[in-house]
Amino acid sequence: MPRFFDQLIASCLRALAPAVAISGLLGPQVAQADVASVHPAEVLIGRYCMDCHDDTINKGGLSLEGIAAKTPASDPLLWEKVLRKIDHQQMPPIGEERPSSAEYQQVVTFLKTELDRAASAAPEPGRTDTFRRLNRTEYQNAIRDLLALQIDATALLPNDEPARGFDNVTVGNLSPTLLDRYVSAAQKIARLAVGASRKTPGGDTFRVPPDLTQEGHIEGLPLGTRGGTLIPYTFPQDGEYEIQIRLARDRNEQVEGLKAPHDIEVLIDGERVAFATVKPPGADKNAEAVDQHLKFRVPIKAGPHHVGVAFIKNPSVLIETERQPFVARFNMHRHPRTAPALYQTSITGPFNSSGPGDTPSRRLIFGETARGGVLVNDEVRARAILAPLLHRAYRRPINDDDLHRLLQFFREGSAAGAGFEAGIESALAAILVAPQFLIRVETDPAGLAPGTVYRISDLEFASRLSFFIWSSLPDNELLEAAGRGDLRQPTALEQQVRRMLADPRALNLATNFAAQWLHLRGLESVAPDVRRFIDFDDNLRHSMRRETELFFENIMSADRPVTELISADYTFLDERLAKHYGVPHLYGSHFRRVSFAGMAERQRGGLLRQGSILTVTSYATRTSPVIRGNWILANLVGAPAPPPPPNVPALDDSHVSATLPIRARLAAHREKPVCASCHNLMDPVGFSLENFDAVGRWRMTEEQLPVDAKGGLPDGSKFEGVSGLEQALLARPDLFAATLTEKLLTFALGRGVELSDAPAIRAIVRRAEADDFRFSSLILGLVNSPPFQMRRTPTP
Amino acid sequence: MSSFVSKKALPRRTFLRGIGAALSLPLLDAMIPAATASTKTAALPVRRLGYVFMPMGCDQSRWTPRGTDGKLSELSPILASLAPHREHVTAFTNLELRNAYPGSHATSNSSFLSAAKAKHTESSDYYLGTTADQLAARQLGRDTQLASLELSMDMLQTTGQCDNGYACVYQNNLSWSSPTTPLPSEAHPRIVFERLFGEGGSLLERRASLRQRASLLDWITEDISSLKQKLGPADRAKIAEYLDTVREVERRIQKAEADVALSPLPPDLERPLGVPASYTEHAKLMFDLQVLAMQGDITRVTTFQLARETSNRTYAVETGVADPHHPLSHHGNDPDKIARMAKINAFHVSLFAYFLERLKATPEGNGTLLDHSLLLYGSGIGNPNVHDHTNLPILVAGGAAGGMKGGRHIRYDKPVPLANLHLTLLDKVGVNIERFGDSSGKITDLFTPLSV
Repeated sequence: MPRFFDQLIASCLRALAPAVAISGLLGPQVAQADVASVHPAEVLIGRYCMDCHDDTINKGGLSLEGIAAKTPASDPLLWEKVLRKIDHQQMPPIGEERPSSAEYQQVVTFLKTELDRAASAAPEPGRTDTFRRLNRTEYQNAIRDLLALQIDATALLPNDEPARGFDNVTVGNLSPTLLDRYVSAAQKIARLAVGASRKTPGGDTFRVPPDLTQEGHIEGLPLGTRGGTLIPYTFPQDGEYEIQIRLARDRNEQVEGLKAPHDIEVLIDGERVAFATVKPPGADKNAEAVDQHLKFRVPIKAGPHHVGVAFIKNPSVLIETERQPFVARFNMHRHPRTAPALYQTSITGPFNSSGPGDTPSRRLIFGETARGGVLVNDEVRARAILAPLLHRAYRRPINDDDLHRLLQFFREGSAAGAGFEAGIESALAAILVAPQFLIRVETDPAGLAPGTVYRISDLEFASRLSFFIWSSLPDNELLEAAGRGDLRQPTALEQQVRRMLADPRALNLATNFAAQWLHLRGLESVAPDVRRFIDFDDNLRHSMRRETELFFENIMSADRPVTELISADYTFLDERLAKHYGVPHLYGSHFRRVSFAGMAERQRGGLLRQGSILTVTSYATRTSPVIRGNWILANLVGAPAPPPPPNVPALDDSHVSATLPIRARLAAHREKPVCASCHNLMDPVGFSLENFDAVGRWRMTEEQLPVDAKGGLPDGSKFEGVSGLEQALLARPDLFAATLTEKLLTFALGRGVELSDAPAIRAIVRRAEADDFRFSSLILGLVNSPPFQMRRTPTP
Repeated sequence: MSSFVSKKALPRRTFLRGIGAALSLPLLDAMIPAATASTKTAALPVRRLGYVFMPMGCDQSRWTPRGTDGKLSELSPILASLAPHREHVTAFTNLELRNAYPGSHATSNSSFLSAAKAKHTESSDYYLGTTADQLAARQLGRDTQLASLELSMDMLQTTGQCDNGYACVYQNNLSWSSPTTPLPSEAHPRIVFERLFGEGGSLLERRASLRQRASLLDWITEDISSLKQKLGPADRAKIAEYLDTVREVERRIQKAEADVALSPLPPDLERPLGVPASYTEHAKLMFDLQVLAMQGDITRVTTFQLARETSNRTYAVETGVADPHHPLSHHGNDPDKIARMAKINAFHVSLFAYFLERLKATPEGNGTLLDHSLLLYGSGIGNPNVHDHTNLPILVAGGAAGGMKGGRHIRYDKPVPLANLHLTLLDKVGVNIERFGDSSGKITDLFTPLSV
C-alpha cells in the first residue's frame, strides 16, 4: 500500500508542480517553513471570510480567527472544512465579495497539496465498528452462496434501519426479536436446504401489487399471454403441490373485467401444467364461485423453479381497443380493467411426498462425500460435509475445536433413529446462527496503544472486499489468496477486483448500492396522485427502477467513465417506459439500449433525465424543486444543504398560500432570511428540472404557462434546463466523482464518511481522473485507500 | 374459573380474509388458550398496558371535546366513534413534548413513548431513552413469554436520509429497550402469529422445535464468549449486551416450553399467511392479534404504530379522502384540506374504538380484558402543519379494575408534559420511578384514590 500511495502522491506533486511553486516550494522543509509564516490561504481568508467568521459573529458556529497560525498539517480537520467550502465555491455566499477563480484555484491547490502531504505521512483510516451483523440483503446473498439456496430474506428478517443513506451502517445491534428471527430463519433454511420432510404441508401466498396492470405481456411469461406473475420458488421435496389462484375483485366484490370467458394457465419453468377457463357469474352475480375451481394439484420436483400464472391473450376485439387513452388499467372508476387480473397465488405442499429429490443445495451439501471416495463412517462423512461449509461461513480457516462442537449438533440431530441427514440439518442450523457467521468482527491486534493505525488482517480484508462488491461471503478463491498472504499484492489485488466485478454477483452494486444511493428503493412507496397522474401503475414503477439499474449496470460492466452517468445520450427502455416518455416505435416487454445521439432537444439519457429519480424526488401531486435540488446537492455534488435550523418559524409565519405557482410559492419562502440561506442553494438546482413533471414526463407548459427552467448551482453558475445542469455538473467531474466515491466508501465500510477521509477520497479521485474516471478505477482506488486497508485502535 | 373464552371472541372472519381460501381454517377456532387463569390476576388490578400511536397529529378544532365541566359529555367529530366507550375513556388537552423540539416528524415518533431528546445523528451513534412501554415490560413482562409486543402497519422500508438528519430508527421505532436499542416492530400478521404461537404444527413438533432452539442458544452463548478474549475493553461491553439478548430469548423459550407443557393451545395450529389488502382489515387483524396475546397472557405490554410519521398512505376507501396523509397534514390552513385531514384522524380513532370494543367483549375474571388494561392513544404532534409538539391529541382508556375515572376531559391551562401521564400509568402498573423524561409530577386525578 505505501508504495502505491507514495507513487501516487509523487505523481500528483509532479503534476501540480507549477501551482505548488506559488507557495515557494523548493523542498518539503522549505515549504513547511514558508507555510508557517505566510500562506496564500491566509491572505484569502483574511480578505473574504473574517467579516462573518471571526470570534464575535462566529457565523455557522465557525470562527477562523487564529487559523493562520495553524498549518494545514497541524489542524487538518478545520482546514478540510474550509477547503470543502472553497472548492465548491460555496463560500463566500453569492452576493458577497468573492475571490476570482484564479484566486480560488490557487488556494484550493495549495490546501490540497498540504493536506495530502500531511495525510500521506500519517494516514487516517478511521475506525469501522467492531461488530457488524449481516443485514438482510447480505444474509440472503450469503445463504445463496453458501448453500446454493435462493431465499426471500424479507419474509424471514425485519427491516434494517438505514443511516447515512445505507442500510448496512447501523448494524451493531442484536435485539431479542432479531435474534429470535435469526434462529427461526436458520431452522427453516436448514430444513429447506437438506429437503427434510415435514409432518404437515407448508404454504406461501404471493400477492400481486394491486396497481399492476395486467392487460399486456409480462416479461418472463410466454408470448401470447397477458398479465399474471412469475414466482421464483424453492420446493422443499419431490411431491404434489396445490396451486390456487384468486382473481382481483373490485369494491363490490365482483371479479374485475370479467365480461367474457378467459383462459388461464399455470406454468412450471415455462411448461404449462394446468389450464382452466373462468366465466362471468350467472344472473345471481355470485362472484365467489367464479375462481373456486382454480385449484390445481401438480407433481413438482424439489428445488428451485419458476411458477408462472398467466392469462391467454384474447385476440384484440373492438371492446378492448375502441378506447385506449390509458395504459394503466387497475382502477374500477378511472381506468377499469378490461380483462380479469390475478390477485394472489398460493402454493401449498408437499402432499404425497416422495423424498428430498435432487436439488442444487443437496448436490452442494452431500456431493462432498461422493468426491471423498469411500468414507468409513457417518461421523467422518459429516466432517467432510461440514468442514468446507464452516470455512466459508466463518470466512477463515477452521480448526478442530470449531468442528468438535458442531459435530455434537450432528450427533444430537441424528440420534434416536432420526438419521444422517437430520444430523446434517441440525448442524447447518447451528452454523447459520453462529455469531461468527452472523456477525463480521474486526479485531485489533493485541498490544497496540490506543489510537494506533494498523493494517487489517488479510482475511478481514477479503471479507471487506466481498461484502463491498458482492454484499456476500468471500468465495474460496478470495479466502485462499488471503490465506496465502498475497491478496494485497498490487497486481494480484487488481486481478481479484476485476474478477469480482465481472462476476454476476457484482450486479449487487447496481441493485443494492446504486438502488440506495439513488433512492430507487423509495419508488416502492411512491404513489402519485391518481387523479393527476392517471397512467401511473406498478408496471411503470417497475420499469423506471429497471431503467436506472440497467443503466448503472452498463456503466459498471462496460467499465465506462462514471461521468457518463450524467452525460449519457442513451438509456434502457421497454415499451411501457417508452410510451411514458413519448419515445415512438418501441414494442415489447424486454429492455433494450436506446440511443438518442445527435438528437436536438434531447429529452432522455443520463440519470437526471430518468423517471425513477424524477419521481422519487417529487410529491404525489407536483414536482418539488426543493427535494430535487437537495437530492442533487447531496447525492451528485456532495454539498447537501444543512437541515433546517432549530428556530422553527413562528406559527403565523408558516402560512404560505397553497394556490400560488410553485416557483412563486418558493420565492415567498426564500424571502425569509432564516429559510433563504439554504433554499437559495437548493431551489435553483431543482428549478432546472422543471421540464420534467412529478412522474418524469417531459413538459413545456405547466398549468398553461410555459415552464421556466432557469436554474443555478451554489457556486454561482447559472443555466437553463436539464442540459444546462448537466454541463454545469460535468464542468467539475472531480466533485461528482468525489461524491460517488464518498457514497461507495460509506457503503464499503459501513460507516459515515468524515472530514478525515477527505485526503483518501481525493487520492482515489485523482487516480480515477488519470483513467478517465472509469468505474473500475474508482473501485480499485477505493480498495487501495487507507480507510479500506487500515483501521485505528480506539482512543479512550 | 368462570372465564371460558367464548367462540364469539375469535377473529375468525378477519383471519379468513387474510389467509385466502387456500388453507383450511377451522383450527383457528381453537387457537385461543381457553380458560386463561384469571386467578393469576389478583396481585395487580391493572396488569397490562397498551400504546397506540397515531401519526402526524390532527385537527385540534375537531378533536378537542367541547364542554368545560371536565366531563366527556359531548364527543368531538373526530372522537365520535368512541361513543359506546365513553365511560372508559378520558381525553387530555394541552399535554406537550418539550423534548421533541426542534419540531420534526422523527422526534414526534421517537419522543412519544420516551419523552426524551433524540441525539441528532444519522449514524450508528443514535441515542434516545428507554421508552415507557419498555420500563413497564421489565415489570409486567417477567412472567410472560414475551416481555412486550411491538407492532406497526408499514411493510415497506423507508430509505435514504429520513428526516432532517435524524437516523431512520427514530422515525420507525416507537419502542426502545435502552437509549441505544430501538426495537423493530412487525407489520406482517403471520410473523406476529409465529412470535406468539410458534410456527404451529403438532404438540410434539412444537416441543422438539423449542428444544432445538434452546440448544442453538447455548451454542450462541458459547460462541460469543469465545470472541471475548480477542477484544479490547470497549468492545467487550457490546459482548455483554449480546449475551443479555441471548438470555432474554432463552427466557422466552423456557416460558414457551412451560406454556406448551400446560398446553393452553390446541394440538394443532394454523397461521394466517398473507397480509390483508385493505388497510382497515390489516389494522383490525393486528388489533385482534393484540387481543389474543393479552387473552392468552403471552404478553402484557403492546405498542402499535398505526402508520409511520410522514406516511404517504391514502385512505380513499376508508374515508373518501384521496390525498396522501403527509402532504395533507401540511394543510397550509386551507379549511378544505383540514376537513379532509380530520376525516383521516377520525378514521384512525375509529380503529382504536374497535380495539376497545374487542377488549370489552372478551371476558376475563369477573370483568373483561379492558377492565384490567390501560391504553394510551395519541400522537407526538399537535398541529401537523407546523410540526408542533404542544396540545397533543391524547386519550387514555381503561376499565373498572384500576379505578380509572373515565368519561372525562382533563384540560390544562398551561402545557403539562406528556411524561407526567407516562409516569402516572407506569406507577399504576407497579413501576415506581421518580421521574420519566421531562416529567414534572404525576397526574393525580386520573384514578380514584384507593379506599382502604
